[in-house]
Amino acid sequence: MSEMILSDEQVRFIESGVSISAASRDVRRVPSVSKAVGCRVAADRRQVTVLVDATQAGQLLQDVAACGALAVVFCLPSSHRTLQLKGRDARLVPLAAGDAELAARHREAFAEDLLPLGYALPFARATHDFQAERLQALCFTLSDLFEQTPGPNAGLRLEPSR
Amino acid sequence: MNRGPSLDAIRPCLEGAVPAAIATCGADGTPNVTLVSQVHYVDAGHVALSFQFFNKTRENILANPQATVFLLHPQTSARYRLALLYRRTETAGPLFESMKAKLAGIASNAGMSEVFRLRGADVYQVLAIEQVPGAEVPAAQCAPCHIARLRQLSQRLAACGDLAGLLEQCLEGLAGVLEMPQAMILLLDSQGQKLYTVASHGYPLSGVGSEFPLGRGIIGVAAQFRTPIRIAHLASEYAYSRAIHEHLAEAGRGDRLETEIAFPGLAEPHSQLSVPILAAGRLLGVLHVESAEPHRFGYDEEDCLMGLASLLGASILALQQVADNPAEDGGAPLFAAPLQGTPLAVRYYPANSSVFLGEDYLIKGVAGAIFWRLLSLHVEEQRSEFSNRELRVDPALKLPDLDDNLEARLILLQRRLAERSRDIVLQKCGRGRLRLLLKRPVLLQQIAAR
Repeated sequence: MSEMILSDEQVRFIESGVSISAASRDVRRVPSVSKAVGCRVAADRRQVTVLVDATQAGQLLQDVAACGALAVVFCLPSSHRTLQLKGRDARLVPLAAGDAELAARHREAFAEDLLPLGYALPFARATHDFQAERLQALCFTLSDLFEQTPGPNAGLRLEPSR
Repeated sequence: MNRGPSLDAIRPCLEGAVPAAIATCGADGTPNVTLVSQVHYVDAGHVALSFQFFNKTRENILANPQATVFLLHPQTSARYRLALLYRRTETAGPLFESMKAKLAGIASNAGMSEVFRLRGADVYQVLAIEQVPGAEVPAAQCAPCHIARLRQLSQRLAACGDLAGLLEQCLEGLAGVLEMPQAMILLLDSQGQKLYTVASHGYPLSGVGSEFPLGRGIIGVAAQFRTPIRIAHLASEYAYSRAIHEHLAEAGRGDRLETEIAFPGLAEPHSQLSVPILAAGRLLGVLHVESAEPHRFGYDEEDCLMGLASLLGASILALQQVADNPAEDGGAPLFAAPLQGTPLAVRYYPANSSVFLGEDYLIKGVAGAIFWRLLSLHVEEQRSEFSNRELRVDPALKLPDLDDNLEARLILLQRRLAERSRDIVLQKCGRGRLRLLLKRPVLLQQIAAR
């Protein structure tokens, strides 16, 4: 079985000013969900790291620590393009140098995408705001990838392409 | 246990302005997260999500009914997490129709009218609401206190002694007190298949006398399902003209709508809200407001209009009884003096009770038949005054039944005459009484059906 790898274009997409929401679940399979404030993909295009604010994502962090399952949805409001990534080995990893800057750049890029849709800048920024001192990083190996843009292909599992 | 804010307190998050994230978990323990355009407020303890495709979320909730939703307040960016339990799916009825219309607006705004199609309303019980800490911005404007404004309006309605005054006060109050200047009131025809516009406010042409089919468009669906229907964006599926054309294309000849009088609505309403007027277990009509601005009407406006429509319905029924039971006789009947001048030809087509003044169409249906009867009595018996009661029992008129609001038909006729004729005036003269005033003689021509 070949391994899931993101294309360069997919990497650029999930690292751009998209909205990011991450979900896990507890031992009783009650789902948890939180916003993520940034994303970076390793050179192998398989290891994906998402940044969350621990004050907002307490339950999610707890659930990931317990089960390792993580689902993350990325959506660009202006185009509705949506991708969902899943991993089974998610774990807390130390922040890398520049992660806070990455999250700040993401917040601005998201706001930029939202402005033409009629939202005010302070609102757009607040949606993906975070406290730098509470940032945490969750890393996982991509196991499944789904097309989720609304339309006939929504929910389609994307197969590994080499 | 602190359950956080109430669902009522976070209703702005449920307007569909900002997508929500819904997390579910499959039987194998794999979480799934997706964005949904609509988390709909059902009541203080339930929300409904739109079921459009058979996707992973759907598969998961059928296997494991627990879901967690992340919501953003569309003005302040306040964040909320809802713990939900899936209960049931509704594929028809009021909730389904409300969500279907709302979704049409959302889809149209997103340029996805062909993509979004509601298959069901998934109803969830709200188990807990958690406010998630994070940056917030102050709300741009303070919402008006709708209950205070409704109180003001209810006092104005309570002071009305007749139907014409009631309709006028209601529409003026909507414009002045609730800041909804484009509004109309439609009443249900006695056959129960169409609605006719009896009063409107804020349009170049009143459209009084125009008709709308039951079950189509935002107004017809609100009437059929007796439920409020609200759309926050321009949606072609719910265009007035489309509803009327579709109805005409399908309806039989016996079920024709009034098409000579144009419907008064805005050409491009970006916000629309239709609420049923109900009283004594019956549908009386629809109160409809619209605006050129998107997102003009929210849950609070919907509640407010439902309250107003209830008051209106009860008042319409009460005034109808008063109008048909005048306390005293109107005194000596007034006889018409002979008139000078060129006679005005008035043609009447009994086939559909339509009336033409000279070459100009005036009205048809029940109001047309009443007008013809009044003119005939005027010419034959030189009478100028009439009572509602005599019209109701008049064997020549054969009014449909007691359900039909005679007073409303008379208002319609009065208004059409005021708009279309300088020669004939119909006035009220005391409770339950009418006066017909002619400024030139009339020549009545009844045109038999061929």
